[in-house]
Amino acid sequence: MKWISTCKETTALASRAMDQQLPFSDRMVLRLHLAICENCARFNRQLQEMRRLFREAATDDHAAGLTAEARQRIATELQNKLDT
Amino acid sequence: MDTLDAQTWLADHGDYLFRVARRQLHSDELAEDAVQETLLAALTARTRYAGDASPRTWLTAILKHKIVDLIRRSVREVEIPCDADGEEAVDLLFKQDGHWAEPLRPWGNPQAEAELGQLRRVLDECADRLKPVMAQVFSLREVAGMETEEICKELGITPTNCWVLLHRARLFMRQCLELSGFSKAGAA
Repeated sequence: MKWISTCKETTALASRAMDQQLPFSDRMVLRLHLAICENCARFNRQLQEMRRLFREAATDDHAAGLTAEARQRIATELQNKLDT
Repeated sequence: MDTLDAQTWLADHGDYLFRVARRQLHSDELAEDAVQETLLAALTARTRYAGDASPRTWLTAILKHKIVDLIRRSVREVEIPCDADGEEAVDLLFKQDGHWAEPLRPWGNPQAEAELGQLRRVLDECADRLKPVMAQVFSLREVAGMETEEICKELGITPTNCWVLLHRARLFMRQCLELSGFSKAGAA
């Protein structure tokens, strides 16, 4: 059992932990490394921050919408479908 | 339901659906296709719309399927970068012994509306520079919040491949945000 991971390995663990529950041993390896490595601890925080920012940005209602041309094209398609 | 409804959906929810699709597809053209396919599907299925969800919720649910369909189609056209340049880019971030090549800079904490607007542009620009398949896996996970199993299944890629793509996309996005000047003293 290897308890000391490199930064490169740790980032892979930290990333995977964003998607699934890691096995116990991997969780310990990750925690141990994060406790002693400032860069990886920052990386881990930034992964979470990034997710928050993306989800926030996705709910933004101020962004652009459909262009007039696209809107017209879709309206025509809808009408064609209704007419058939 | 009559003509008015389908055209009303377009008028009331078209922009919203477009923005949701644009965020995940990173292409105006594909996002327009997604909106059109969603409204056409909604028109076909309108008798099944029980009216217990708001039209927007109902349309958004249809849109999600259409987005996944469009992504699946475009993924088939793109070779999944298993180890090509994606891996080299990752290797540059680390030294031979697996330590970070450069220390990570802390990020700012944008509060003002102007800063948030700027940030959104940076997020979009960085995401646009990802390989298409990476951008798609990344946004299905990080933006849409789909589970990885679901993403693998929908896109027909292995879970391992999925995690590799996600991990590289995250490393790249983080780096891109940092290089875009999104770092300040005193925060995350």
